[in-house]
This record gives sequence, C-alpha cells and structure tokens, in this order.
Amino acid sequence: MPTLETTRAAAGAVARRPADADARPPARRYRWRGRLAEVAPLIVLVALCLCIGALSPAFFSVRNAIWGVGNQAAIPLILAMGATPIIVMGSIDLSVEGVLSVGAMIVVLLCTNDSNAHDLGWWGPLLAVTACTGLGLVNGLVHVGLRIPSFMATLGLWFVGLGIGTVALGGSAVRVLDPRIRAVAFERVLTFPMAVWIATAAFLLALLLERRTRFGRYIYAIGGGEDIALLSGVPVKRVRILAFTVAGFFTGLAAVVAAAQLGQANTTIADGRLFTTVTAVVVGGTALTGGSGGVVNSLIGVLIVAVLANGMVLLGISPYVHEAVQGLMIIAAVALSIRRGGSLVIK
Amino acid sequence: MARSAAAGIPVTDAMERLRPFAPLLLLLVLVVGIDVAEPGFASLTTLSVVLSDASILFILSAGMTFVIMLGGIDLSVQAAASFASMVLAILLPSIGYAAFPAAVLAGLVAGLVSGVVHVKLRISSFIATLATAGIMTGLSLLSADGRTVAFLDAGRDQSQWITGAWLFDIPNVILIAALVAGFGMVLQRYTRFGRYSTAIGAGEPAARAAGISVDRYKILAFGLSGAFAALAGVLLAARLSSGSPELANQLLLPTIAAVVVGGTAITGGVGNIGRTVVGALIVSIVRIGMTFVGVDIFAQQIVFGAALVLAVCVTIDRSKIAIIK
Amino acid sequence: MLKVDGVSKSFGSVRALRDVSLEIRRNEVVGLVGENGAGKSTLMRILSGTMRPDAGELSVDGRRVVLSDTRRANEHGIAMVFQEQSLLLNMSVAENIHLAQEKQFTRLGLLARRRMIEAARVHLAKVGLEVDPTVKAGELNFAARQMVELAKALALEERTDAPLTILLDEPTSVLEAKDIDVLFARMRSLKSRASFLFVSHRLDEVLAISDRVYVMKDGMVVAERASDASTVPDLHAMMVGRDLHSEYYREARQAPPQGHVLLEARGLSVQGIFRDVDFALRRGEVLGIAGVIGSGREELTRTLFGFLPQTAGSLHVDGAATMLRSPSEAVAAGIGYIPRERRTEGLVMDLSVAANVTLAKLDVAMSHGLIAHARERAIAADWIRRLSIRTPSSAQVCRNLSGGNQQKIVLARWMTARSHILILDHPTRGLDVGAKEEVYDLIRDLSAEGIGIILTSDTLEETIGLCHTILVMRDGAITARFDAAAGAKPTQVALLEHMV
Repeated sequence: MPTLETTRAAAGAVARRPADADARPPARRYRWRGRLAEVAPLIVLVALCLCIGALSPAFFSVRNAIWGVGNQAAIPLILAMGATPIIVMGSIDLSVEGVLSVGAMIVVLLCTNDSNAHDLGWWGPLLAVTACTGLGLVNGLVHVGLRIPSFMATLGLWFVGLGIGTVALGGSAVRVLDPRIRAVAFERVLTFPMAVWIATAAFLLALLLERRTRFGRYIYAIGGGEDIALLSGVPVKRVRILAFTVAGFFTGLAAVVAAAQLGQANTTIADGRLFTTVTAVVVGGTALTGGSGGVVNSLIGVLIVAVLANGMVLLGISPYVHEAVQGLMIIAAVALSIRRGGSLVIK
Repeated sequence: MARSAAAGIPVTDAMERLRPFAPLLLLLVLVVGIDVAEPGFASLTTLSVVLSDASILFILSAGMTFVIMLGGIDLSVQAAASFASMVLAILLPSIGYAAFPAAVLAGLVAGLVSGVVHVKLRISSFIATLATAGIMTGLSLLSADGRTVAFLDAGRDQSQWITGAWLFDIPNVILIAALVAGFGMVLQRYTRFGRYSTAIGAGEPAARAAGISVDRYKILAFGLSGAFAALAGVLLAARLSSGSPELANQLLLPTIAAVVVGGTAITGGVGNIGRTVVGALIVSIVRIGMTFVGVDIFAQQIVFGAALVLAVCVTIDRSKIAIIK
Repeated sequence: MLKVDGVSKSFGSVRALRDVSLEIRRNEVVGLVGENGAGKSTLMRILSGTMRPDAGELSVDGRRVVLSDTRRANEHGIAMVFQEQSLLLNMSVAENIHLAQEKQFTRLGLLARRRMIEAARVHLAKVGLEVDPTVKAGELNFAARQMVELAKALALEERTDAPLTILLDEPTSVLEAKDIDVLFARMRSLKSRASFLFVSHRLDEVLAISDRVYVMKDGMVVAERASDASTVPDLHAMMVGRDLHSEYYREARQAPPQGHVLLEARGLSVQGIFRDVDFALRRGEVLGIAGVIGSGREELTRTLFGFLPQTAGSLHVDGAATMLRSPSEAVAAGIGYIPRERRTEGLVMDLSVAANVTLAKLDVAMSHGLIAHARERAIAADWIRRLSIRTPSSAQVCRNLSGGNQQKIVLARWMTARSHILILDHPTRGLDVGAKEEVYDLIRDLSAEGIGIILTSDTLEETIGLCHTILVMRDGAITARFDAAAGAKPTQVALLEHMV
C-alpha cells in the first residue's frame, strides 16, 4: 500500500462521523431515541390538554373543542399543509401573509360585497385559489430560476402580496356579503363547522401527496441530501417549483376561509399568520434542516399552538403573551430538533 | 498568471469594477428622473425631507449591515425598534433623559439575546430572529396592554435634541445619522470587530481556522443590530412623540432593501456601511419620489418587494452556496 | 463490454487524464490502481456520467455512447457505488433503491408502496442482505449500507438491456475485515450478472478480487496486468515509478532537533476515534504521522488544533498543561495550522493578502485600538519579500493567486502570529512539482529557526523524506515510532507493515 490516500473519502468520513456514530452501534438505542423524538410532540399535546383541562374544566366541553380549538385551528392547519413540504425540503416560504392577503382580497372583491357590484358566487373563491397558486408558482420560479435562497425570494413576494392586497382594497376594509361565503365560517355539517371540514380535506390531500406520490418522495430526498438526490436523477428544480406552487394553493384555500371567518378583507387579515404557521410546523417536529417530519407532525403542531392559545384565553392570560410564547416555542423546538454534529457553519 | 487570466476576460473585469458604483449611479438617475417627471423635486426642502426619512432608515440598516456582512439576517429590527420606543415612552416620565440610553440598552440586550439564540442554540439566523421578534413584540404589546403611549409635555421637551435643528437648520436627526455613519465606518474599517466580521462573512471556515472566535463576533453583530434598531426606534418615537408596539412594523422590508440595494450581498463578506448610506438614500428617494409622483403608498411595497428580489439576484455570490435552499 | 478509448480531461493547466484507454469485458472484475492524483477518480466520474471528457470515446458493446448524466449512464448499464455513500439516510431502504425510478410503480399518479417494498426485497436478496426494506437507511451500519447501494445498482438490470457494469470507488475503505470478505463473496457470485470496475488503494485486495488490473500514473494508464501474474511490489513499482534522489526532500539540510520540548501529548484520546497517543515534539523537529484512512491521524491533527476536543489524556505546550477547546485557544497557545482544504479553511479568499497575513494576530497591525492600514501593508510587504510571494501588491485579493503562493500566505500568517508549533495538514496537496519544492525548502527553513512541525502527507515518500520522527497509526492507536535521521531513513515497507 504505497499511497496514504486520504482524499475526499477522508474528508467525507470525518465530516460524517458524528451521524455514523449514531448509526453504527446496533441500532437499538438509536431507534429508541428516534422513536421518542417522534412521539414527543404528541406527548406535549396530551400533557398540555390535561394541564389546561385541570385548570379550566371548560376546556373539555364539546363546544370548546369544536369552536375554541377546531375552528381556530382550521386556517393554521391549511397553511401548515402548504408550508410543511417546503420545510421538509429544507427551504422556507415567508410569503404566506402576502399571498393570503391577495387571496382574501380577491374573494371579497369578486363576491357580493359592500364596495363594488361584482357577484361571481363560487367563481370568487375559485379565482382566489387560482391566483394564489399562481403566486406560489412565481415564488418557485424566482427561487429556482434566479437561484436565490427561498427565504429571500419569498420575502420579496411577502411584501409584493401585501402591497397588492392593500392597494386593491384601497387601504380600507371591505365586507363580504355573499351568504354562501359566510356559510363557510358558520354553517355546520355533521356538528362541525365547514372550516373544519375544509381543513380536514386539506390535511388528507396533503397526506396523500406526501405518502403516495413521487412528489412526496422527492421532497424527502431533496431535504435529506439534495446533491445525492440530483445525482440519482431526481428532477430537483421541478419538484422545488411544484412545492412552492402547492404551498400557494393551500394558502389560497386558507385565504378563502379567512375571508369567510372574518367576514371581510382588510390590511391586517394576514397579520401573524407566518409566525403561527412556522411555529406549528416546527413545534410538530419537522426540522428546519429538512428531510424529516411531515404533515402529521404539522397537524399535531397546529393543535399544540391552538390548544395553547385556547388555554390562555380560558385562563384569562393576556393575548399579548401569546406571541411571546410562540417565539419561545419556535426557539425551543428548533433547538431540540437540531442534529448534533451537523454543519459547523450556520447562517 | 492571475493577471493574464483577468486580462483575458476584460468585459467581465470592467463590469466587476463598475458594479460597486451601480447603486450610486442609480441614485443619480432616480433624482434626475423624478425631477424631470415632476419639476421641483430636487429642492432644498425635499432634500431635507428625504434626508430625514433616510436617516432613520439608515440607522436601522446600519446595524443590519453588520449582520448581513456576516452572512446572517436579522428579521427582528422592526420589533427591536418598536420595543425601544415603548421602553422610552414608559420610562421617560420617571427617569427623564436616562430613558434614552435605557431604550438603546434594551435594544442591545435584545440583539445580544438574538445572537446567543442563533449561535449557541445553532438555529439559523432568520428563524432565531423571527422568534425573538415575536417575543419582543409580545413584550411591547404587554407593556401597555397593546396601546400607544404618548409622551407628556416634559417628554416632548426632553426629545428636543432629536426633533430640533441646532445647526444651520439641518434637522438633528440627519446629524445623528451622520454620526452613526461615521461610527459605523470606523468600526468596520479600523477595528478588530469590523475586520473579523468581514472575514467571517467572506469565509467562515477559514476565519475559524485562523483562530477567530467566530461565535463571539456573531453575537456582537446581532447586539449592534439591536442597539442601532433601538436608536432608530427612539428617533421615530421622538418625532411622533409617542411609543407604539407597532411603530416600526412597516420598516423591515425597506431596511433589508436599503442594505441589499446598496450593494451588500446577502451571502456575506461583500459590502460596507458606505454602500448602505447610498442604499438608504435610494429607498427613501423612491419612497418619497413615488409619493411625490402620486403613487399610492401601499403600491410602494410592491415596488420594494420586487426591487429587493432583483437586488439580491444581482449582488448574491452563488459560488458560496453549493445548494440554494 | 465497456470500452474507453483515448479519453483525455484537463482542469485548467492540469491534465488529469491523458489518452486513457481500457476495457471491461463481460462478467469480469477489473481493478484500477494508482497513486492519489493519478486520475482514477476523474475516470470514474466520466464513466458514471457526472463529468464529460475533453476528448476520446466511450462505447458499450461496440456502440459509441455519450454519458451526459447519471441517468444516461444508467441507461447504458453503468452504475456507480460511491465512496462517499450516496444513500439518503432519512429515507427507507426501499425508497432509496427506487429513488428517481418510481415511475414503474406509479398508477394514476399514486405510488404502489407494497409493490415497491416487494421489488426492493428482490434486489436485496441478490446481494444477500436480510434487512426490512422499510427500515431507514440511517439505521443501518456502513457494511449494510454498502450492500444496499449494490442492490440499488443491481436494480438497473430491470430497466436496461445493456450489460451491467458496476463501478466501485474505494468500497472497502470504510469496511471492517469481515465485511470486506462478505463484499468480495457477493461480487464473485454476482459476476454472472455484472462486470465490476474496482478501485482501491489496498493492492492486496485488488489482486485478490480482480481478474485484471490497470495501473494509472500521472493521468495515464501505464500498465495492464493479469492479477494472478502480478504481486503487490510489482504494482507498487509501476504506480510510483519515480526515481528521486534524496536531495528532493532537502535531506542535507535536516539537522537534529535541539532538546527543548514544545508540545507533548500524554495518553491523548478522543473517544471512539483515537486513544493513548503519546509523543513529544522538540524544537526544530519535523514529526510525521502516517496512517491510512480511518487510522485516526486526520482527527489527531484536528485535535491538536482544537477543532475536535480531547476526551482523555493531556496536552502540554511548553511544559504547561493546556486544554484546547477551539482553534482560537490553539492559536493563543502558539499553534498554527496549515489546512488541507486551502480554499475553504486556509485563506479567506476574498480578503486581501495583507488582511490574511494579519488575520490570526491583528494586534501587530493596530495602534491605539485601531487598525493602522499603513503598518499592516508594511508587514505584508515584508513577508511578500521574505517568502518571495508572487502577487502584484499586498492589496491583491487572495483568490487570484496560485496555490503555492496562497500556501505561503498561510505560512506568513502563522509567522506573523509568532506560532512556534505548526501543524501541516497535507501541505503540498494540489501543488505542482516546483511549488512543492519551495514548500520543502520552507519546511527546512522553519525547522532551522526552531519551529516544531507536525506533518501529515499524501505520500509516504514525502513523510519519510521530510521528517525527523515518524509515528505510525492504525485503528486509532500508535503502532510504531521510527527515527528518520538524515541518511538513516526507514523504508516505506517498514512503515507499511505497521499501517495495515
């Protein structure tokens, strides 16, 4: 053996050592720890419910479960369905607030409202969802086509969207009067509000995409190692663009429900949505580094955030505390989910 | 050999040389363009308005510049500014002038916390600061139950040093911004912090291998960003004679835009405070110019969003990121 | 039959491959050996479709093929098992085997998961690996992952009519002895299904598994031999084939070190990587560490510079016990590091020469707490002159300089920081012969000034030529210690005995 080859193999071996140290010993301990990490969000959710229930018995009433938690969780859940695949890829979509305000604006202005004479009925929501899907596509094209990191590309569209939404509304609030739209918020089907059903449908659709399509597979492949995915022949660019488009679609859906629940579109309809969405996805156990987690995690994450918010209301805690608590939750969840021994450079 | 290689591609070389001056050129074109469209724009009065507007934006962006130079981003500057305005408004009646440094100190501490969260918990900076922004906004809202806190008459008097114009009728805000710019330039060019933060942004592994305490300088940069943001919040509060939890909410985008449009790359290592001065002027001129020409202020966000993406696209160094996420 | 005909490839002025021709016949295992930089990796990349040749042709069964990407290479029956394992650890074994090939399992846009798992089971059976296809790849050990990669390559059978050729790039470097036996047994039994091109630096293994061996040197195929007619020393001679006199390494300038101990390790260990390392580095001594991949020597050098903190034992700098938790602490203790990855870790490429020279100890260029740019330039100019660094000025950005000059700037930085212990991690990697000789001169200069040097190198020749003392590591422990005084140098074979 004449050469002391230490080329890329050595670099690779050294860099990968920490992960491999986990994998190498017979996997029992690793698995056990992995499993625990997987169910941790569920444990948190159950514990949270029990604590709040113990302090405020009203929490466990059917009414509270449906209206206080379920109905409140609907929009965050729909948004999280779009954000999850993107985060699994290791990217981020900061544009939800912008896209959502465009969607809400379109619904309100095209259906019967107190500002203009349009009355397009169901075409309103349909066009809104289409427009939002288009904006998602723009996100993807800008990110992939111009090769800028997703957080910057979507940061741009965040504000473009807010601007469009606000300009079209003329800076004021416009009320939606179409009873069919309002029904989305208030009508009950089988004891649950329509919004909850829409959110459930969104969840099932996202689950199907994630588990049973090539798109779902490729998202995990990209998040797990984009270079390897590319080398294996995964159409990385197309998948990336598609993921942002799908996110646009779900955001559009959320915009329709938001306009219906609020009964209007205004400049603040989207405020705080991004923050809640990211918190929910991350708290559910989907790592921002990509490759793990999924929509089931996000469902649990959304419920954690919703239960906590509901609990704070029931316990009479100032709603202003909620935002601060969400911030702490993001930090805690991300810090706990970081893979040790990963890249030394974190930006 | 390096030289001949450069000489072999003279066109790109010339473009590389011109690139740092592009923002300055853009600034000139804008001023002339708007003046042609609406004569009377280039007057002393508008100049004063533009500079005052640019001053606060610049101070916000100055702190952000240090963070972006390091290759990170701070999405909490608007929250830090609002938070500082609340601290100021609440403390002013009880501790008087001491409330000003107290507010800036609050921003510094908040920034340091962001930095520690980012560096020590190993969370990427945009998520870490998104989270600390949430915490700061929560605290601001909580501090006065979500209300705006107006200054008392005494408070207005005490903020004369900001609102006044003591030298040749130049608003003091502009002078303060000039001081900040000078301070920033010295910091960047002549201090250990400036040199090391450039090195870290340009090549973090190499900086680490040269023995630089990368973590320490990163945290410091976020601290500075928080302090500068708080100073901007204090100036804004003084001009409006009140503190508000949503005071600076609309300023995050223009702040990032000012840094990036000035020519500082979000990939880090390339840029300086001087460029941010130009960037802040461009953003302010566009903002005021658009109002002057009659563009709806909400529509301006559309322009900024698009301009931001464009500027990022032009300045970014793609060789530095193997995989664009 | 896969045939390579007259393939050449250059990177800038470096000719990585020159008119390379070879062929892999059906049901044959072909070995490919050569020194680091001989062009093996470049050839593998061209064959796997990740790189295009500048000239020459590839053909499969007599028909000319163009391998523009991995997918196209697959279509022609060529699959690569990468040395940096290419499985996605977050995905299941079945998902990995079928990655980017899910189309055959798709109906109405939906994946038939059960069928995919069954198909994966079939491919795993070919390599005799009994694991549940739904288990995540990250839960398997190295050896099992390698088998999964092999199964992934064999899955190609069903998608192409072309004869299957599997490229194995250093597959044994991360495997234990018993796993290597298993791999070889599988390769032998799979020979009826596929041909293999086997690259390894362990010559005995190459001879054991392959039918024929190609030897590469300096980008050319210099020999083709039947395995049963060759021996390890034969191959070795053909690979090195260089006749160097001792003056190449400036042995005449090697003076015995002078007593005083600069750096001492006592029982130094990093859990799970290396253990009980003892050595003492004296003033002016060049201490070499030899060992193969996985011997722990790379990590040992990283530990000595604070990248990888020790978990047991102690380090003494100038007699005082020192704990190095980060590179900045190592620098403070007077240690400098010239990294193997010059482009990422050596220099901040976009900073000026002057800024890089003062990076480790900015104090020297400061007055009254501020950087004095004129003084900084003067310091840099001084080093540019003393080390004859070829740069237009000290304001030049380092990216535009040649590798040898960049290496000198790194050195100038540590001299500026007054480091008296230098760790040279493959200091001549990627340098041409002239630049290498300059580095050898510099090493002798430093040694003469009393600086202690710890050296790891790509070749044993270089280690033996430059060092006073050589430590040999194997499996995380020191197995031998050689005195390499000028004129009494140990042989490569003597070192090798303790390495593998």
